[in-house]
Amino acid sequence: MPDKGTKRKIIKEMILIISVSVCVGLLANISLIKRYFKGEFSLSFLSAAEFPVVSYITLAEAESLFAQGQAVFVDTRSEEAYQEGHVVGAVNIPFEEFDPGVLKEITLSYDNPIVVYCDGSECQSSTNLAKHLAERDYGDIRVFFGGWREWVNSGLPIE
Amino acid sequence: MIRNKYVLFIFRLAVGGVFVWAGMMKILDPLDFAQSIANYRAFPRFLSFFLALILPWIEVFCGIFVISGLFKRSGALILSVMTGCFLLLIAVTIFRGIDIDCGCFGSLSSRVDYKLILTDLVLLFFSINIFLSPSRSPS
Repeated sequence: MPDKGTKRKIIKEMILIISVSVCVGLLANISLIKRYFKGEFSLSFLSAAEFPVVSYITLAEAESLFAQGQAVFVDTRSEEAYQEGHVVGAVNIPFEEFDPGVLKEITLSYDNPIVVYCDGSECQSSTNLAKHLAERDYGDIRVFFGGWREWVNSGLPIE
Repeated sequence: MIRNKYVLFIFRLAVGGVFVWAGMMKILDPLDFAQSIANYRAFPRFLSFFLALILPWIEVFCGIFVISGLFKRSGALILSVMTGCFLLLIAVTIFRGIDIDCGCFGSLSSRVDYKLILTDLVLLFFSINIFLSPSRSPS
């Protein structure tokens, strides 16, 4: 183990390295930081500019889309959770955030809007599936951020 | 503790190389990395964001220092601490049943599973040995 003088030297160097890294990291991303404080990333870190086909919708909007009958609802929770209950007519794509195999099986129509949901605001699988769908040229993807919990708590149709 | 300077040099290349590469992949797409951190569901949103901006630079600088020999021990110690913390995070994530992509190498990342733990244990072993090695090779 290093002696006392060396220990102090190492600690000073570590502080220096981390301080420089923090400064460079912040400076290199000033525009992102500005966008963050404007509220752009409050729901997810998907850049709206990069993924214009993905939008985040409220319960009211999800309900309206459901009533219109045009959108396909996608439940990204596990199969077990889906079996226990899901939005009426929803398709289950249990989206493990990293599983390229799953994506081959997606047979969603390109013509309808797709409403993606997971459990609630904590889970990220709806955002992650939305990103993958956008990368596969689906044109209208809406992430219902409140998710299953908000849908159920509002007494909306489930099966 | 490994003392052979040739073996240690291989360790330095391996650790430095991995962290410089991993760091650069994440510097190129900070939002993707922020989303990866958010996937662990372990941090508040603002922390996920700021960690995403800063951690990759720490990785790159420390990786360069470890390879070059300048600030080698401090760089190796920082990387050891980071790897140790990440190992803890992986363990907790697996325990919580969260099945995700680790986010370690940007879009080329691997799954959070036991193989990742093994890889990181090896990296930790290398880094600790680099930290413990003397600052100058004996003449």
